[in-house]
Amino acid sequence: MNRFVAANPSKCIGCRTCEVACALAHTDGAGVDTLAPETFKPRIHMVKTASVSTAVMCHHCEDAPCVNACPNNAIVYRQHSVQVEQDRCLGCKNCVLACPFGAMDVVTVPAVRQFAGMTLSLGVKAQAHKCDLCVNREAGPACVSVCPTNALTLMDRASMDETLRQRRERAALEAADVAA
Amino acid sequence: MEKHMAVCPYCGTGCKLNLLVEGGKVVGAEPLNGVTNEGELCLKGYFGFDFINDTKILTPRLRNPMLRRSRDAAFEAVSWDEAIQYAATRLSEIKAKHGPDSIMTTGSSRGTGNETNYVMQKFTRAVLGTNNVDNCARVCHGPSVAGLLTTLGNGAMSNSIPEIEDTKCVLVFGYNVADSHPVIARRIIKAKERGAKIIVCDPRKIETARLADLWLPLKNGSNMALVNAFANVLITEKLYDKDYVANHTEGFEEYKATVAKYTPEYVESITGLAAADIREAMRIYAAAPTATILWGMGVTQWGQGVDVVKGLSGLALLTGNLGRPNVGVGPVRGQNNVQGSCDMGVLPDNFPGYQRVDDAKARAKFAKAWGVPSLPDKVGCRLTDVPHLAETGALKAMYIMGEDPAQTEPDLAQVRKGFAALDFIIVQDIFMTKTAMFADLILPATSWGEHEGVFSAADRSFQRFTKAVDAKGDVKHDWEIISLLATAMGYPMHYTDTKQIWDELRELCPLYYGATYEKMEGLGCVQWPCRTLDSPGSKYLYEGNIFQRPSGKGLLFASEWRPPQDQLNEEFPLVLCTVREVGHYSCRSMTGNCAALQTLADEPGYVTINPKDAKALGIRDQELVWVSSRRGKVISRASVTDRTNQGAVYMTYQWWIGACNELTIHAVDPIAKTPEYKYAAVRVEPIADQVWAENHVQQEYATLKSGLSGAVSRAAKKAPAYA
Repeated sequence: MNRFVAANPSKCIGCRTCEVACALAHTDGAGVDTLAPETFKPRIHMVKTASVSTAVMCHHCEDAPCVNACPNNAIVYRQHSVQVEQDRCLGCKNCVLACPFGAMDVVTVPAVRQFAGMTLSLGVKAQAHKCDLCVNREAGPACVSVCPTNALTLMDRASMDETLRQRRERAALEAADVAA
Repeated sequence: MEKHMAVCPYCGTGCKLNLLVEGGKVVGAEPLNGVTNEGELCLKGYFGFDFINDTKILTPRLRNPMLRRSRDAAFEAVSWDEAIQYAATRLSEIKAKHGPDSIMTTGSSRGTGNETNYVMQKFTRAVLGTNNVDNCARVCHGPSVAGLLTTLGNGAMSNSIPEIEDTKCVLVFGYNVADSHPVIARRIIKAKERGAKIIVCDPRKIETARLADLWLPLKNGSNMALVNAFANVLITEKLYDKDYVANHTEGFEEYKATVAKYTPEYVESITGLAAADIREAMRIYAAAPTATILWGMGVTQWGQGVDVVKGLSGLALLTGNLGRPNVGVGPVRGQNNVQGSCDMGVLPDNFPGYQRVDDAKARAKFAKAWGVPSLPDKVGCRLTDVPHLAETGALKAMYIMGEDPAQTEPDLAQVRKGFAALDFIIVQDIFMTKTAMFADLILPATSWGEHEGVFSAADRSFQRFTKAVDAKGDVKHDWEIISLLATAMGYPMHYTDTKQIWDELRELCPLYYGATYEKMEGLGCVQWPCRTLDSPGSKYLYEGNIFQRPSGKGLLFASEWRPPQDQLNEEFPLVLCTVREVGHYSCRSMTGNCAALQTLADEPGYVTINPKDAKALGIRDQELVWVSSRRGKVISRASVTDRTNQGAVYMTYQWWIGACNELTIHAVDPIAKTPEYKYAAVRVEPIADQVWAENHVQQEYATLKSGLSGAVSRAAKKAPAYA
């Protein structure tokens, strides 16, 4: 099963700590100084409506529409998650249209190449931009680590099984109540 | 990488954290397992540290003392000797000519710590000879202190932050915990998960209202009517604890008579609430085995704040929800050390440890300890009195430390007039602020992260914080600066470190005597009262239901509801209520200089408005709009949202362009002198030319920013010896 970050709206207070942690976890260690409005592109989004506050992000679907929609096989299943091979991304946005959760975006970043000690500008490079579960971060997803109300959880097969077990137990008890 | 233990400098939760330091620069923050935060931090706690590094995103750090000899001159950098001598001479002249009461000082409820606040009030009382010392509790929880002192005998939270998750009912009144104290919001969520009932009284659908079992969206300005109706229900439905009332309270008959007319049906038209919901709220509250009331600025920032605080404490007294674990009354302090400023006697009527200045015995004790023949017995003036007293000429000089009243006080036009009327203003801060632009002398201090000390969290928890990095530039600790000034004015004052100051304080304050630096080592936390060296401190107040009043009983006290003071009419048909947002803090001098926080929210800020009101005015979401009141006019960005009630709009108070305090009214509570920030009559108008408006905001913002940074950089250039 692919792992994913699940958000619990009954615990979310809409503070956006997850968004900053996400952006910061993807600065290649450059630190908080590099954050600026123009370049702030978190892969998790806090959504606030009249009745709900919660974070929305990639579900790492088992049969992912983004994977299926990509004409260049840039989106792949790896490390029990859905990952983007940025070298292959064309920026065609098929994946953006395919994702039912609005979790995929296409962004452009400055493309540069190092050659003979010089940095050459190659215009811009498109990137399919989504949650990568911080697979290269030892402590796991940064958003989960920082959430002050523990509204975010990393779900894997084991935690999913535990959730299912609890739900079934609750359902059984409720059924017993109804019968009584 | 080095790690240095600190306590977060933002809200009053008192979260313990490590500052991560590399190469003399703070590069990160990580949570510690403190008593109040248990390994959690919020947005500001995690990402609000880089202001220390002088990012210059909003405004520069101060590096040198700066002086201007006339108000039309530019600042010049001067040496500490010259700055202190100048300040001493001017203050001494003013004191000689106009008397000690012509000078006012402020403590700082922010990063400086308790020791500095102790030294500031000592300087004010022993050296200047006045009780004119105050702090920004005046504009926030002043009414909680005044109200609770009267009814229960102690102005602080009666309970502890960790207890909140173990209570069976939380009554949240005028308190947006998600934005003000995210790490306390976690406690409320945990309480709910453990089966507690949550009741929220707030006109807006705040996050807690979303999670509540019962949300009472009362009309803006109807607090007292609702609280009286609550009391009415508890009495008429016989939900109150008769034995508790008989044994531990006084004033019941008068109280009962006052609330008699406030039936839920009677207050329906005032509050806009259904009588059945009001009854239901009290049935839930009274049925809970343990119940806790939490409130914030929605209760206190009113012309009738003290009365409502007394009313809320009455609900706890009626139901016996005091004097035991997991119950009580919690005025949750907004700024990290506003509890501490009050604890340290940075108040015009109290010495440290809540010993009154009009008590001759207390005066004699402090005079003896401080080596002066006598101390002033007249209660000093309040921060909110300043504009008026300056204009009438009663006040001539002000020494403002770590506060930015030109941003945070109500009716800023009046504040500016007051500053202009003063003969001499000293601003001691870490940043160039809007207030510093009015100063004659600017004294640069070390920041949180550059010094150590003790903070008081909202629940009376004393906790130590340590230094992480050396300060850059020619700056000094706040308490060193005040000591130098005292010495230059003929009162030799010298401390070697904060512990020496703390020990002097402990000796003078029975409430804090047992709270030693040793007990607060590491993650140690001592809640006052802590009267003896072997006492661990007090998790909750009023043990054994003994109240700190002459009779030992709690006072039931009710007041008639009074409508708000500003008047709505056709010209100004909407209520403006000023509020907070999670990512920015106070005047924004700290958070505005943090890259992450400024990335999330920048000028001109938002005015939130209900979709029906927006539609009627022809205003669309995210458009720039004019907001005007009888006192001013500012530009802001509309956020059209169902969470805002019809008939009211809300703005946060840290913006320079969208400065809501240009609009607020200087109408104050008669006792606490706290302004009615929560109710100003305003008009919101669309702007046809949005392109012009966007440019206007950017230009004004750039002008303000360059004005502040230019003042600092020009001063440094003018005096190369000190640059």
